Amino acid sequence: MPDQPSLDRNLDQLLSEECGRSGPSDKPKLLKVLLAVQERMGYVPPHSIPQIARRVGATEADVAGVLSYYPDLRTFAPGRHVIRICMGESCFANRCSRVLRALNDHLGIVIGETDAGRRFTLEKVYCMGNCAVAPTVAVNQDLFGRVEPEQIPSIVDCYR
Amino acid sequence: MTPATLYLSNDTSSRAVGADRLAKQLRQQSNARLIRTSSRGAFFLEPMIERDVTEGREGRMVWCNVTASDLPNIVAGRGGVPLRSIPFLSAQSRFTFSNFGITQPLALDEYRTRGGFEGLERALDMARDSIIEELKIAGLRGRGGAAYPVWSKWQAARQTESDEKFVVVNADEGDAGTYCDRMVMEGDPFRLIEGMLICARAIGATKGYVYCRQEYPAAAGAMRAAVRKVEEAGLLELNGRPFAIDVVLGAGSYVCGEETALLESLEGRRGVVRAKPPYPAVSGLYRKPTIVSNVLTFATVPNILTRGGAWHASLGTDRSRGTIALQIGGRVAQPGLVEIPFGLSLRKVLDQFGGGMAAGSRFKAVQVGGPLGSLFPESKLDIPICYDSFSDAGAILGHGGIVVYDEDTDMVELARHFMAFTADESCGKCTPCRIGSLRGRELLDLVHGGRATKAELTLLTDLADTMRTASLCALGGRAPYPVLTAIEHFPGEFQTRLRAQEAGTG
Repeated sequence: MPDQPSLDRNLDQLLSEECGRSGPSDKPKLLKVLLAVQERMGYVPPHSIPQIARRVGATEADVAGVLSYYPDLRTFAPGRHVIRICMGESCFANRCSRVLRALNDHLGIVIGETDAGRRFTLEKVYCMGNCAVAPTVAVNQDLFGRVEPEQIPSIVDCYR
Repeated sequence: MTPATLYLSNDTSSRAVGADRLAKQLRQQSNARLIRTSSRGAFFLEPMIERDVTEGREGRMVWCNVTASDLPNIVAGRGGVPLRSIPFLSAQSRFTFSNFGITQPLALDEYRTRGGFEGLERALDMARDSIIEELKIAGLRGRGGAAYPVWSKWQAARQTESDEKFVVVNADEGDAGTYCDRMVMEGDPFRLIEGMLICARAIGATKGYVYCRQEYPAAAGAMRAAVRKVEEAGLLELNGRPFAIDVVLGAGSYVCGEETALLESLEGRRGVVRAKPPYPAVSGLYRKPTIVSNVLTFATVPNILTRGGAWHASLGTDRSRGTIALQIGGRVAQPGLVEIPFGLSLRKVLDQFGGGMAAGSRFKAVQVGGPLGSLFPESKLDIPICYDSFSDAGAILGHGGIVVYDEDTDMVELARHFMAFTADESCGKCTPCRIGSLRGRELLDLVHGGRATKAELTLLTDLADTMRTASLCALGGRAPYPVLTAIEHFPGEFQTRLRAQEAGTG
C-alpha cells in the first residue's frame, strides 16, 4: 500500500483531473469521482473523505453517505485480484453454492475476505448477465462460464 | 485459394465459454478470415462458428460447441450443419434482435445497410405529435416491470414546458436471469442510440444518458465506442444542435434499476427511491422532464417508426403488442435468448425453445421476472406469456428472464436467498422494505435451520403482507412474492423444516 503522503498527492492530482473534466454547467458528480478514485487506487481510503468533499464541493457526510451506499465502492485495499462469484438465480439453479465452496476451500477465505498473501479478494455479485452459461465466476474483468467446482484451482492459479 | 470467411461471436457469454481462445487460434491461420459478430443468443451452442458457403448453397454452415480440435475441419469446410436447420433459431420472430449474429456490433455501415437509422429519418420528417401517435397505434408498453404505455410517458414529457429535457436509458435492470439489455448494448448498440434519438426528437430533449450497470463492462465499452462513431458520422445532432450522449457507470446497487433511484444516482447521490408523483416524465433528472426507459424499450422503437405502429400492433396479444425477448436460463437443455410475439404459453416456450430439462434434471419450478418474480410449479405452466395473464396470476413478466429450477433445489434455501437479496439491496428509505427484509431473512434462517415454529411461519406471511402493501417501490413490494409462492406451492418443504415437535401436526 502506498504511504499516506504520496497517496494524498496522487489523490489530489486525480481529483483535480476528474473535477476539471466536468464543464461549468456539469458539476462533478460525487459517484463518478469516487469510482474514478477506486479505479486508480483499488479502493477509496476513508481518510480521503475530507479531501474529496472539499474538491467536489460536497459535505463530508455526503461523501460518506455515497461511499457507504454502493456495494461496489470499497473502503479497504483489496487483494491484487478480485474474484467475484455470481449468486443470481440462474447461477443458483446451476449450483453456484458448490462453486463457492470450492473457492472457499481453495483460497481459504469466505466472501468479503482477502487472503493472507493479499493476492485474492472474494466478493459476491447478484447477476453478471451471464445467466445462459451459468454458473459464473469473474477474476478481475475475465469472465468464466459453465464453471465446475473442479475447475476452480486451474482458473484461480493462473492469477497467482 | 480464397480464405474461408468465419464468424464468431464477441459477446461476453460466448467469450466466457472460450470464444476468445478460438479467435486467437483462427487469427494465426492464413486460410481463414475471422469476423467477430454479436451472438445469436443460442448460448447452449456457444462457442459457435459460422462459415460462408459458396458453390451455390445458400446461407451459412454452423459448427456448435466448438473446441480447438474442431478448427481444422471448420476451416476446410468439413462437417457442420446449415444454420437454418437449428429450430431454436428458425422458430423465432426476430425484429429487435434481427442483427444478432450477423453484423459486427460497431460497424456503422453494416447497421445502415440493414435498415439502421431509417426509423430516425422517418421521425425527423414527422411532427412530434405524429411520432407519439405512431407509438400509441403500436401499443408499445415499457419492457420493464410496470409495462406502462410508452406513448403516454412521451406525451407527458413533450407537453411539459422546460428549457432542458432528458432521455435516460435504464441499462441497470439487474434482474438476475436477464441479459438481453447487455446483449443489445454489446451486440447492436446503434439500435439503442437510434431509439434514444427518436425519443429525443419526439419530446424535444437536449441530452441523453445511458446509465449502465458496472457488471457489464463490455456493454459500457461498446456503447461509448458506438456513441463516438455516431458522433463522428455527424448523426448525433437534432434540429441543428448537438445531442450529447453520456455513458455513466453504476456501482452495483440493484435499486438503481428503479427509475427514480437511477436518477438520484445519475445526479451523484445515494441511489434512493423518490416518492412518486411527480413522475420523471414531468420532473426527472434535475427535476426536468425526463424519459427513463430500459434498453429494450428504446431498441424496439426504431422498427416501429420504420415499419409503422400498425405493424407492431399486429403482433402479440390484445394488450401485449409486439414481441418479447425471453431469456431462458437455469436447468434447461437450451439456455438462450428468444424473441417471439407475446402469447405463447410458458410450457411451450420451455419445451420448444428451452429444449426441456438439462440432462439428468427433473423440473421443479420456474421463475419469471427476476428475483422478485413468482414461482410457478408444473401445474401452472399453461399461462400465456403476456402482461395481463401474468398480472392476473399475481406474477410479473418483468424483463422476460426465465429461470428453471430442478428437483435438487431446496425451496426453503431458495426463499431465504430471495429475502437475503432484498435485505442486501434495499435502499433503506422505507421501513417495510429495510426492516421487513431483514426480519424476513431472520425468520427464513430459523426455518432453514429447523428452529422455527408454525407461529414464525405465520409471522413471515404477515410480514410479507406489510411489505407488499406498504413499501415505497417494487423491491419491497414484490419481495414477498417468490417467498409466498414457494410456501404456497411447496408447503411440505417448509412444514418438515419446522421444529421437530411442530412437524406433522398439521
